[in-house]
Amino acid sequence: MKDHNINTIKLGVFVIAGLVLFIATLYALGKNRNLFGTQFELRTRFRDVNGLLVGNNVRFSGIDVGSVRSVTILNDTTIEVVMNVDRKMKKFIRTNAQATLGTDGLIGNRVVNLAPMSGNAPFVQGGELLPSREEINTQQMLETLSRTNESVAVIADELLGTVQRINSSAQLTRLLSDESLSDNLKASLVNLNRATANAALLMDNANETLRLASQGSGPLATLLTDTTLSAELHRTVRQLQAVEANAQQLALDLDQVVRTVETDYRQGPGPVNALMRDSLMTLRLEKTLENVENGTAAFNENMEALKHNFLFRGYFKKMEKRKKKEMK
Amino acid sequence: MTIKIPDATREFLNDAGELSRFAGRFFYEGLRPRYEVREFVRQCYVVGYKSLPLVGLTAFIMGLVLTMQLQPTMVYYGVESQIPAMVGISIVREIGPILTALIFAGKIGSSIGAELGSMKVTEQIDAMEVSGTNPFKYLVVTRAFATMLMLPVLVVIADAISLYGSFLGVNIYEKTSLLLFFRKVFENLEYIDVVPAVIKTFFFGFAVGIIGCYKGYYSSKGTEGVGHSANSAVVVSSVVIFILDLIAVQITDILT
Repeated sequence: MKDHNINTIKLGVFVIAGLVLFIATLYALGKNRNLFGTQFELRTRFRDVNGLLVGNNVRFSGIDVGSVRSVTILNDTTIEVVMNVDRKMKKFIRTNAQATLGTDGLIGNRVVNLAPMSGNAPFVQGGELLPSREEINTQQMLETLSRTNESVAVIADELLGTVQRINSSAQLTRLLSDESLSDNLKASLVNLNRATANAALLMDNANETLRLASQGSGPLATLLTDTTLSAELHRTVRQLQAVEANAQQLALDLDQVVRTVETDYRQGPGPVNALMRDSLMTLRLEKTLENVENGTAAFNENMEALKHNFLFRGYFKKMEKRKKKEMK
Repeated sequence: MTIKIPDATREFLNDAGELSRFAGRFFYEGLRPRYEVREFVRQCYVVGYKSLPLVGLTAFIMGLVLTMQLQPTMVYYGVESQIPAMVGISIVREIGPILTALIFAGKIGSSIGAELGSMKVTEQIDAMEVSGTNPFKYLVVTRAFATMLMLPVLVVIADAISLYGSFLGVNIYEKTSLLLFFRKVFENLEYIDVVPAVIKTFFFGFAVGIIGCYKGYYSSKGTEGVGHSANSAVVVSSVVIFILDLIAVQITDILT
């Protein structure tokens, strides 16, 4: 009888253990599917759900917060997904949260990902239709990859051609094999460094000048702030303007004179026309000048003779002495 | 005109008919008072509790070996982290129930067949009838009910032990916590994986019990018949378990 009781207790423990494990399994599965918590409903719409099933997980920022309650086709381009989400998430999910379809791992189940967006949208209350974004599916990825591969092939071909041209270029080969190139390059870099240092110095000076100018000292500040200089400059400018006006008047007068001369030269009865165009007049003038030269020579002889005349000899000697004194 | 049926076929069909009638009588007798509760509890202890060490050991080794066999392939494909999910689904859906049922059939089916067979041969069953005890109710109903109810319990415990074995198997190659392992297992399990797998074990248990009892109850030819009863109880139970499993998988597929 005692053995029977012990065996019954053992049996009870055995059965209870089995039942507890079974119930715990069911509870764990239900908890994973959020069947036991209080939930609220959210909706979203996709063009293609890519195999999303009722019961698939819903994630908010990567955390499991619910599951898909229903997947309903509304028309040929719209499928509505209704989600059950844990009520605790109401204070985190905003109405502008974006729904996308994803995969649990590389080959796992489909999931609906809710991603928070920027902006200060109100928090969800239940039943809202969240905006969705279509994901890039594998086929689209492969198509893009194929296009990229084709582009890469073209680039590789062109690169190959470029490299071949570089390899076959004698000038480039000579340039690359030129040992003095590195020295020249080094010298150029030294010069460049020096130029940079000079430029830096120049900039420092300019900065210093500007700094002084901003403080009101230095020649630039004087130039910029001296009111008398400004007045002088204004006056100079005005004078320059007056000079310019005079010059213009002068140019006009000259123009008038030139025109008069030109008129005289061409047709006028004046001396210019006669001087320039009358050949007889020219001959007369030449003759007159010849007479003048001859007269002048005769006058010089008379003067020389006068110097030796005893009446004027004293005067000329005085003059010579004065000249010598002045020379000393 | 009469059709000549081969002896083997005739014997098979005869057995099938007798077994069906035997099962019908089981439900008829089982649902009617008086209930042999004390004997039922004793049988539960014998077929359930006492089978636990053998079933538990087998399940543990199966979980461990399955993980170790899967590991290189999963590493090759870069999905090592999916071992708990894969082992979990395999064990819960199929390996746990079918392996436990086969072990159960080997141990309990043969035991019931031999026990009832020897009672039949030694005319103890006849003596019970003479003494006013309903031998069918006392011997068959209690055993068949016990197997039907104890096998699901054994399967649930065996699944848990097997998953623990798998956890140790995973830890041979890499370190993972028990909590993370079971979390990954449950993340990939659905009710449709667990509930049908447990429900079908009621049918497995019933098949083991009723076939064992049938083979023993109609045992003949002396001690040789006892051995034959035990042997055929195991063979027929195993075949029926596989057939029931096939049907269960089809029904589960339809439901999902």
